Amino acid sequence: MSVNTVDKTAKRRRFTFTWDTSILLLLLLVCVLASLTTDNFLSAINISQIFSNSSEILIIGFALTFLIITGEIDLSVASILALSSSLLGWSYSQGAPIWLAILIALAVGSLCGFFNGFLVTKVGLGSLAVTIGALALYRGIANGILGTNTVNEFPDFWTSFGFDTIGTSAIPKTLPAIIFLGIVFALLLHNTPFGRRTLAIGLSPEAARFAGINVVRHKIIVFTFTGFMSGVAGVVYTFRFSTAQADNGVGLELLVISACLLGGVSIFGGVGTMWGVVAGVLLAGSVESWLTLREINAQWRTIVTGLLLLISVAAPVLVGKYKAKAGKI
Amino acid sequence: MATIFKSRQISRETSLGIILIFSVGLTGFINPRFLTGDGTRDLLTSTATVALLAIGIAPIIIMRHIDLSIASTVGLSAWVIADFCAKNPGFTWVQCFIIGGVIGIMVGALNGLLVAGLRLPSLVVTLGTLYIVRGGVYVVSNSVDYNAQEMPPSLLNLGQKVFFSVLPFPFLLVIIATIVTAWCMKYTKPGRDCYAIGSNPHAADLVGLKVFRRTFLAFVFSGFMSGIGGVFYLMRFAQVDSTAFYGQELAVVAACVIGGVTILGGSGTVTGALIGALLVQTIQGGLAALGVDAFWKSAINGFLLIVAIFADRRLAARSERALLAQRIRERE
Repeated sequence: MSVNTVDKTAKRRRFTFTWDTSILLLLLLVCVLASLTTDNFLSAINISQIFSNSSEILIIGFALTFLIITGEIDLSVASILALSSSLLGWSYSQGAPIWLAILIALAVGSLCGFFNGFLVTKVGLGSLAVTIGALALYRGIANGILGTNTVNEFPDFWTSFGFDTIGTSAIPKTLPAIIFLGIVFALLLHNTPFGRRTLAIGLSPEAARFAGINVVRHKIIVFTFTGFMSGVAGVVYTFRFSTAQADNGVGLELLVISACLLGGVSIFGGVGTMWGVVAGVLLAGSVESWLTLREINAQWRTIVTGLLLLISVAAPVLVGKYKAKAGKI
Repeated sequence: MATIFKSRQISRETSLGIILIFSVGLTGFINPRFLTGDGTRDLLTSTATVALLAIGIAPIIIMRHIDLSIASTVGLSAWVIADFCAKNPGFTWVQCFIIGGVIGIMVGALNGLLVAGLRLPSLVVTLGTLYIVRGGVYVVSNSVDYNAQEMPPSLLNLGQKVFFSVLPFPFLLVIIATIVTAWCMKYTKPGRDCYAIGSNPHAADLVGLKVFRRTFLAFVFSGFMSGIGGVFYLMRFAQVDSTAFYGQELAVVAACVIGGVTILGGSGTVTGALIGALLVQTIQGGLAALGVDAFWKSAINGFLLIVAIFADRRLAARSERALLAQRIRERE
């Protein structure tokens, strides 16, 4: 039994490894095809557009990767984004200084994440069901606070951050920040005890507990952290569109989750790489940009996202079946 | 109190029903209009679509799977039916139901093949088909909307039909569907197999249950119900665009969970799902009667859902303890 399990895990790792690689190849392929078929796909302005359009998905995706790897899920991330965005706008419009408003937004995001984590770990409820409830709850609170009002007066310094470039070059100011975050989170997942613990819990919570990992505490930390990053995404979203309203980012949760799964994170936990996730997010963004530049009905991107998601789960299974068959012969 | 519960196990549906009657009574007390024929009719009309989908998805959740593509299927079915009707003025409600059913079955079969055939995680697969189907609606609709004048009058009349001055036709269908499905889930082999598979998929496989066939059937059933849900949508709103029923999948799952269909599989009933859907709608009506701002609606829904999951967990833990105590006593 134990030999079998180890064997299976090793196999699964090899397959996801190939998927991680193929998603990167697919990303390159899309970029090559797109630059051949359109004039300005690889122009600096377009690339910076891809990055800034994907920025919230990336920011939440960094944290959600950890959560999915531990074997849990959080569907309320987009609602946390909306709640922190609404609170940011509301407290700023009530006369709070901007730094305090941002702080409130981040604190509330973390609190929401902690609440989810508390219900899942301490009370022992299923994360899928709880976060469906939390999705409605947080979005509803945002609705209750702002109603149909919008706040769109923010200091120029903050709203221009998303558009400004470094000096006279075409590199947007946000790009280094995102790359920096990506490197930090990749190191955190793959090169620290924290990351190893995350993967261990996902592979087998029981074994992790017997190995002396405080699973409950670890999961609460990851949940809280996901809430915090959703709060950060809320702040970024607010300034990027200079709008705080209750229906900011509706439906974003499924985009983030699909980007993570596309990047090779297993929905069953225990498997995933940070660079795979980044490639997954950028792939979705590039396809969208390509379709836009080709003036193809932008709605096709919805279908493409769905197809990529199906391929991302079906491909490893099909490859495995094919290999098993070939091995038998 | 505890002894009452111990001596006579009150079923989950009974207690939910009591809560439902209580909340209907309370709402009626605050706003007498709620208990009149009109009020009841409004409640039943607005619940019909979600209730139908909840009945469809309940067997899937009982099998420890999930179907997120239902709302997109409703949108696809509603738009395509309207499109067919606009191009064929001779169509009546009969064709609408047939087209809706066929579209639903097609989407359900696709989900079923991917989940049951390739054994892929249903959450991911149906998330994928959610996008593909909705994207399909966007592309084929090309931003064309349809209104009441393009729809068959017989369909709209059917939607307006009310029995005994309280029971709208769509809800009558919901009740029939509930009775049939509940009977199948309780007394037929495929129905019992759903519970077995949901309780322990691995064991179900080992004892030789037809897991593939049952899972496939459940997804086709849910697809079919969503397709019919598209007809319900047209009957209620008499207009459709590409965003019809967008994002309602989680509301349906919430109705099931409130109705005691546990997300972890193996327990719950179709009747519970129906009561859950009604309860959500009643509480909405009650809050409106209390004068609570409509903006807080979603927050209260979410809060109730979390409370329901919490209560469910507590009840399950208690019955587990009771069962264990009983076993120990028997052994002694």
